[in-house]
Amino acid sequence: MIPIENFLVLSAILFAIGFYGVLARRNAILILMAVELMLAGVSINFIAFATYLDADAFSGLVFALFVIAVAAAEVGLALGVVLRLFRERRTANVDEADSLKW
Amino acid sequence: MGMEQAWVLPAIPATLFVLIALFNGLMPRRGDFLAVLGMLTVVALVFVLMADFMQAFNHGHYEPQGTNVYAFDWVNIGQGFFIIEFSTYVDAITMVMLPVVTIVALMVLIYSTGYMKGEARYGWYFAVLSLFVAAMLTLVLSGNLIQLYLAWEGVGLASYLLIGFYWERQSAAEAAKKAFVTTRIGDVGLLIGIIMLWRATGTFDIQEIIAAATSGQIGETYLTVAMIMLFGGAIGKSAQFPLHVWLPDAMEGPTPVSALIHAATMVVAGVYLVARFSPVYAEVLIARDVVLYIGLFTAFMAATQGLVSNDIKRVLAYSTVSQLGFMFVALGVGAVGAAMFHLFTHAFFKALLFLGSGSVIHATHHQEVEGLGGLRKKMPITTVTFIIGSLALSGIPIFAGFFSKDEILHFLEADGPVWAYPVLAGTAMLTAIYTTRVVMLTFFGEPKDQHAFDHAHESPPSMAGPLVFLALLATIAGFFVFDQVGEALGFAGGIGYLVFIDHPHEFTSIDWVFAGTAAAMSVIGVIIGWAYWHGDAERARRARGWAPDLHAFLVNRWYMDHMYQAIINRGILGLAGAVAWFDKRIVNETGVDGGAQTFGYFGYRLKFLHTGKIPNYALGMAVGIVALTLVAIGG
Repeated sequence: MIPIENFLVLSAILFAIGFYGVLARRNAILILMAVELMLAGVSINFIAFATYLDADAFSGLVFALFVIAVAAAEVGLALGVVLRLFRERRTANVDEADSLKW
Repeated sequence: MGMEQAWVLPAIPATLFVLIALFNGLMPRRGDFLAVLGMLTVVALVFVLMADFMQAFNHGHYEPQGTNVYAFDWVNIGQGFFIIEFSTYVDAITMVMLPVVTIVALMVLIYSTGYMKGEARYGWYFAVLSLFVAAMLTLVLSGNLIQLYLAWEGVGLASYLLIGFYWERQSAAEAAKKAFVTTRIGDVGLLIGIIMLWRATGTFDIQEIIAAATSGQIGETYLTVAMIMLFGGAIGKSAQFPLHVWLPDAMEGPTPVSALIHAATMVVAGVYLVARFSPVYAEVLIARDVVLYIGLFTAFMAATQGLVSNDIKRVLAYSTVSQLGFMFVALGVGAVGAAMFHLFTHAFFKALLFLGSGSVIHATHHQEVEGLGGLRKKMPITTVTFIIGSLALSGIPIFAGFFSKDEILHFLEADGPVWAYPVLAGTAMLTAIYTTRVVMLTFFGEPKDQHAFDHAHESPPSMAGPLVFLALLATIAGFFVFDQVGEALGFAGGIGYLVFIDHPHEFTSIDWVFAGTAAAMSVIGVIIGWAYWHGDAERARRARGWAPDLHAFLVNRWYMDHMYQAIINRGILGLAGAVAWFDKRIVNETGVDGGAQTFGYFGYRLKFLHTGKIPNYALGMAVGIVALTLVAIGG
């Protein structure tokens, strides 16, 4: 059996890449993709622990399914927001969407 | 009707109040006949009840404590920890109060059908009078203190509504407010007293409290304070010094109301309360002395004020305050029988005097005695009945007031301080003088206002009838003091025996020398009044020249209203101003607004942190999470 550390390292790498992407990218679409990466890392963690700690329990798997479902809904919503933003401003650069202050 | 059904008495006028208040517009004559008939029924029932009571009394079934009947538990909290019953209690004191209240109320209602004819809110007037009678009967029938307090406030409410009956008039509205607020000061004392007694005994039942207090279960100091607090309620309701100031102003109400509420019934509620607790007052002599001295001072003070007042109703109001002082003097020396007897006779002759003055006002639309005069030619019935009432008030023998006032003086001389008797006897003489003054200025001499005199006429039968009936009572009510009269009416020993059952020989004989002295003083008082004022207003005006300062002092009611106004202006309004300043500056501006401004300032200074750029927020979040994680690991 593959040691659990391998899965944890993989998930950590995925999460870190996604995290970097969220902070470094300026394009809203790319930020959303980076968020998906972070979610994928988290899901791997859930499944790994679920399998290693108690193979008969489904709770970790159910969580992962939830994460996928919620992520799908969230992306649907977020893409709608980005589309509106693009139509208003002709850009998807989040640095330019800064009128919500003070 | 037996004593068990005594609750019917207040129930009848209470029902009539609701009916007349709601539906007087639909009734013929706005429902006044309903009020009168209902009151007639109540009077009849009172006599049935009295016969029942006398029968039990004469056959020895009567217990001295009376009969307590529980109707139902009104409030019951914690399995008997806190119980308020709705109960009626009938004993000899109740038996004195019931006929007084109901007979005077009946006379006043009949009189009002004439006096109030054509007034606006005619139906409402009769409704509130019914409410008053219901509350007053509940008060005198109460078996426990909470029920008594409820009724006590009920009569106060009716009094307020009726003093302010002509509320379009600024002075009437203010007088009503003054009466309500002033009596409420005393009522706070009453409530404190009730709570103190409940804390000490765990019950509101009056007889249980009296039993506990007289058997020494309550500490003496505690009991003294509680009883003085109860007396505070009596001071407010019965217009004794220092809360007497509302009663003269209460004359703003319709005159029949003054007769019923502010002379005969409501104002004696305080006397009734102290009489009801007389066994307890006998235990705490300091509290009883307070009653005595307050009564004595009030009697004298009010009599001097009555001497100079120019308003016929106000003179009567001062004399009411003074006579209530007499009753408290009697209670203060433990002569409950004498106090209740004076209450009994006073109710009739004072109601008579008020109704007589109402008749004068009705005929002339004047109530300043110095503007009246000579009315005996125009209003013979009013004149004769008013003179009978005056003689009774002055204490001239055979009239009711003589016997009761004599009893009070007698007990004061026997049991009071040495100097108190001359003061009260002097006050009795003053009473005779100022009463005679009013009679002389109103009914004798030459008319001073010819127009009013020409316009004057004798009152209609609906008003003259009650005057005649009350004059009859004012003449004979004193004879109840004698054994023979009492026996003839079916109760042995007269009213003294009935009321003061522990000392059954109170009134078996009259000390003729003593009575002769008192009578002589009254006669001298009347002669002085007659000799000075017989119909000549010039002399009355000249009297002021003798001692203008003293006259001003008396006319301004010993400057007591000024003093209260000054206390309110400087003390209370000053304190209120300080509190308002504290609230505005410290609480509101510094505390609430100041706090808000502090946060506003920091918000203004820190708003640069909000750039609106998503990566900045994301970075902030990331740094925060990392920091928290480090803290969590480190901890």
